[in-house]
Amino acid sequence: MNAREKEEYLREYEILKKKGKSFFPYAIMKDSVMMLVVAGVLIAMSIIMGAEQGPKADPTTTTYVPRPEWYFFYLFELLRVIKPPALVPVATIGIPTICMVLLLLLPFYDRGPERIPWKRPIATITGIMVIIAMALLTYKGAVAGPPTEIDLPTAPQYEKGKQIVAQSGCLACHAIGENGAHGGLGPDLTEIGSKIPREAIKQSVTIGPGIMPSFKGLGNEDLNAVADYLASLD
Amino acid sequence: MKLLPSRKKKAEADGSENGEVEAVAKPTRGERAAQAKQLATHHGTQSGIDVAGWVDSRTNATGIFTAMMSRHVPKGTNWFYTLGSATMFIFAMQAITGVFLSMYYTPSATQAYASITHLTNEVFMGEFVRGLHKWGASLMIILIFLHMARTFFFGAYKYPRELNWVIGVVLLILTTVMGLTGYLLPFDQRSFWATIVANNITASGPVVGPYLADFLRAGPDFSATTLSRFYALHMMVVPGLIGALIGAHLFFVVKLGTTAPPWVRAGRPKGSRPTEAVAAGVAVEDLDEVAVNGAVTVADAEPPAEAEVDAAEAEEVEAKPAEETEAETAAPEPAEEAAEEASSEEDGEVNS
Ligand code: HEC
Ligand code: HEM
Repeated sequence: MNAREKEEYLREYEILKKKGKSFFPYAIMKDSVMMLVVAGVLIAMSIIMGAEQGPKADPTTTTYVPRPEWYFFYLFELLRVIKPPALVPVATIGIPTICMVLLLLLPFYDRGPERIPWKRPIATITGIMVIIAMALLTYKGAVAGPPTEIDLPTAPQYEKGKQIVAQSGCLACHAIGENGAHGGLGPDLTEIGSKIPREAIKQSVTIGPGIMPSFKGLGNEDLNAVADYLASLD
Repeated sequence: MKLLPSRKKKAEADGSENGEVEAVAKPTRGERAAQAKQLATHHGTQSGIDVAGWVDSRTNATGIFTAMMSRHVPKGTNWFYTLGSATMFIFAMQAITGVFLSMYYTPSATQAYASITHLTNEVFMGEFVRGLHKWGASLMIILIFLHMARTFFFGAYKYPRELNWVIGVVLLILTTVMGLTGYLLPFDQRSFWATIVANNITASGPVVGPYLADFLRAGPDFSATTLSRFYALHMMVVPGLIGALIGAHLFFVVKLGTTAPPWVRAGRPKGSRPTEAVAAGVAVEDLDEVAVNGAVTVADAEPPAEAEVDAAEAEEVEAKPAEETEAETAAPEPAEEAAEEASSEEDGEVNS
């Protein structure tokens, strides 16, 4: 907007304001009705859905799949879409940061005088695309159920390790055979035994490389069982 | 702001016009006393100590309040404009329910879970208040996104409201930080492991990532201090910032005014609107001002402000008595009042 357009906007706005109504009672009426609706919805939600409490946090039994609040699903899904581990920081920090910076600086690069949505198609279409993308990612994140079973034939001595892996939420990020998250946060573990040695596997599970949580809390015995089982996959 | 002189004038005018007030007040006290008395009567304080008047003469609180209430929102303002105040409402709800939760919550890794169990199962209405806080968080996220979408599609971030957009984005980020820090506090399996992953994600960030993660965890490992750190962020630091920024946000809203929907044009009167758009606009404004002042001060007789004496005044004076009585009788019932005034305003316009 150049100086003339700014002046024109302000002049037009002055007139629109004169023609408008006073905040009290007109605008405040609408605001109050909306607040009442919001309060009603909130109270209904709290009564109907309550506030349940999950099992107590226990660093030693990781039998729970890490799931964020629903409004972070789209971020979580973004991580799944971007596969190569080298790019993980790009997905986790890079993309959200760039989006936030772009959002923050919006008024400073979109400076045209036009405000009608259908007369500034680039902004409007971008906005709609972002909304659709976020909705889709949220939806995918919501339905990506956390499976806790691994149906692969396993020699009896590895059964224990398999159970622990199945119940420890590994499959939220990793795939093993047909199970788990294909294209998830972490690499496919189906043939992990042929890729890295048993000690490296144990090391990984213990320290939790990158964004993977550390499973040190499982205890040495269980960690060994897990490592034995994973090393047997080849 | 032009309201302020007009209010003062009104008080003086009332003082001399209104026999009762004049008789009670001691004439020797002079004008200031009469004015104070006037203020006292219309705040309902008949006692000798006039607190409202005392505060008012130092802060001009009534003047600011009246100016805020009678400021105009532009033509075309619709339901989409309620999303911002709805967001603010839900934030206030979060603050209130949060205070009650904090009365029972213990931010320690060993006791947090038990304190939540106690709160949920034993405290009167405990689960309900937890529910309000929990679902309120989700609603706040939804509302803030809707509000942002509204300002985006209406082009409300453009000149002169750029700063308000920037403040808004910071509010958005802080609101998600609230979600993140609050999620850990119940300290059940779900929140515990999700927070560990979130923290590892933070740590994978470039340059500051590892340091930020260390700060949040209060060390290289997830420990007992992590929980109290999240708690401090969640209940003091971030809400404080959000509150302050909402204040700044609203300051700009009042100072700059809200946009009109972009497709509403000033120069195009439609329907019964008169062709002399500008003159009509002035007349409508005056009508509104009378109505509002009438309602706020319980219908004191208001002489028109001199600055606004113009051609429109004639209609205004004509329309005034009707406006006043309406405002007075309907004062406790805003809905009715709005409907009635809307119709009477239409009449006024048609007449002009
Ligand atoms: C939050 C998601 C997540 C969970 C849950 C998770 N992992 Fe991982 N895991 C990862 C990611 C991401 C990597 C790759 C890290 C890197 O190299 O940067 C990884 C790497 C690994 C590796 C090393 C793979 C290689 O090729 O080097 C092993 C082994 C492994 N995980 C096993 C497990 C086991 C066993 C569990 C369950 C006890 C588990 N993971 C749970 C995300 C996860
Ligand atoms: C805690 C969160 C927020 C609160 C309480 C809040 C509150 C408000 C209120 C009450 C208004 C008045 C008009 C209206 O209601 O539409 C407003 C206007 C505005 N808000 Fe927000 N807001 C918040 C977050 C945001 C965000 C995230 C953005 C965008 C990134 C934003 C950008 C704006 C803009 C540009 C205006 C001016 C709109 C106009 O003039 O039409 N706000 N805000």
